[in-house]
Amino acid sequence: MTPLGWIFLLSSLAFVWGLTAWCFYRVLSYEEEGEPIQVPPASLGG
Amino acid sequence: MTKPGHTEEWGTRLGVILAVAGSAVGLGNFLRFPGQAAANGGGAFMIPYFCALLFLGIPIGWAEWTMARYGGRKGVHSAPAVMGVIGKGAIARYLGVIGVLIPLAVSFYYTYIEAWCLGYTWKYMTGGIGVEVGAPIGEQTATARSFFDNFVGNNANGVVYGGDYTTLIFWVLTFAVNIWLIYRGISKGIEKFCQWAMPAMAVCALIVLIRVLTLGTPDPSLPEQNVVNGLGYMWNPDFSALGNAQTWLAAAGQIFFSLSVGFGVILNYASYMKKKDDVALSGLTASATNELFEVGFGGMITLTAAFVFLGLSGTAAAVQTGTFGLGFATLPVVFAHMGVLGNFIGAIWFFMLFLAAITSSISMYQPTLAFFQEMLGWSRKAATTLMVAICVVGSFLVMYFSQGGRFWTTIDDWVGTFLIFILAAVQIICFSWVFGMDRGWKEMHQGAHIRIPSFYKFIMKWVAPLYLLIVFFFFCKNNLADWVRSVAEDPLRLGAMLWIGAVLLLLIVCTVIGTKRLRAQGVDIDDRQPLED
Repeated sequence: MTPLGWIFLLSSLAFVWGLTAWCFYRVLSYEEEGEPIQVPPASLGG
Repeated sequence: MTKPGHTEEWGTRLGVILAVAGSAVGLGNFLRFPGQAAANGGGAFMIPYFCALLFLGIPIGWAEWTMARYGGRKGVHSAPAVMGVIGKGAIARYLGVIGVLIPLAVSFYYTYIEAWCLGYTWKYMTGGIGVEVGAPIGEQTATARSFFDNFVGNNANGVVYGGDYTTLIFWVLTFAVNIWLIYRGISKGIEKFCQWAMPAMAVCALIVLIRVLTLGTPDPSLPEQNVVNGLGYMWNPDFSALGNAQTWLAAAGQIFFSLSVGFGVILNYASYMKKKDDVALSGLTASATNELFEVGFGGMITLTAAFVFLGLSGTAAAVQTGTFGLGFATLPVVFAHMGVLGNFIGAIWFFMLFLAAITSSISMYQPTLAFFQEMLGWSRKAATTLMVAICVVGSFLVMYFSQGGRFWTTIDDWVGTFLIFILAAVQIICFSWVFGMDRGWKEMHQGAHIRIPSFYKFIMKWVAPLYLLIVFFFFCKNNLADWVRSVAEDPLRLGAMLWIGAVLLLLIVCTVIGTKRLRAQGVDIDDRQPLED
């Protein structure tokens, strides 16, 4: 395993674990509160 | 505007996310992904892979979730009806028939493959498949291969029905469980099952991963065959591969098929969501979960385990055998080398694959069921009966014409691959260009729990369709001529195409009937009166 191999492995794992954890945190924290954001204004692309 | 009778809805948002993620996570996450990565630049493969995820997979997924929820708000749940609403007319509606054909036709062989997983689980729970560790490695591989070929009927047509009925029994069990879950409905069947199956799959994957990462150097006389070098086989980057168009094509293809975009499932699943249910975070979460299983588990387990026991040349040869060769012929050799825990790990591994497969297969039946109910106005029981009849005929054809897997691989090529490109292209074009990007963006953010960065408007309108069309062009250039030739020259493959043609014809007839029926009920199937916020 080369140093670059480690970099690709660890950064890929960090990305998928981080993204999944963040998503589930958001889903579960809204599951009970449940107040959605409003449609974004035009200035933000809405 | 009238809506058809209220049908069903998801119990919780987590339920629909896990159901969609379960649909996406399949055998390809654990078996296809590592082979593709290792053959296309190792760690460097992740650059085009994540580009495809961000610019192709996730945006098309968001579009699908949004279109389906909008269709559901109009009171329709089948892919043709939803696409007719989004595409404002008959052309999109009839192209939407592909969204029923894909899951239905793929289910003909997918349930069969699922039965292999269940059968292997049983075999490993009851003593393994007879690989002798003391024999030369070539003999061990040949034993595993021979068992696999006999089990799935690769050697001759009809063998699954003769003598040893084991495979057939496992198929009946698998199919029965699928239909039972579907018949129980969206919330009580699919949702409840996925809420249990997805965490169970993660636990199984974690057990196998821990075992693989703690293998160390099993044979001290071969010190180079260790876990770290096994990971290196998969992850050491070869940047020269990035200059090869094939690498980018393989990465886009892997993301595309892995996320199940353009499969017709999300079009149905998300149609049961309510107006204020979030689709932005839900779609992202389902995609992220799929990536966790693919990169976090698939990228760590399969080739690492193979390398530790089979070495560099053995693993390279295993990758060449493809998805099923790697999973069902190579890994059994690896499990045999794991000592007393080998059969236990083997059972866990194949049970995990079974869970991955069944959470996908139930997602293939539900869109078909919803289609028959909606188009024909039938009860769930009557629609289930019709669907079961078609699936039994389709699956029995697949199991009878089993030699070399030519019958089912033809369906996989044309329906499970080619038509997915077509449907995804239709979806993203209808969403961005017919439904309208501004309107689609607004609809996507109804009830959203995250704000999607505004540059995704540009990506969804220009980048994703263009990216998809380029990938599709090169895909056709590389494969289509061979596929057409093989169908023309092989009566078995031609028979598979004729069977699919017959199923397609039935679905089109149902759509004609359903269109008249829904119109008569006053349903706004062409979106003449767009819904307001």
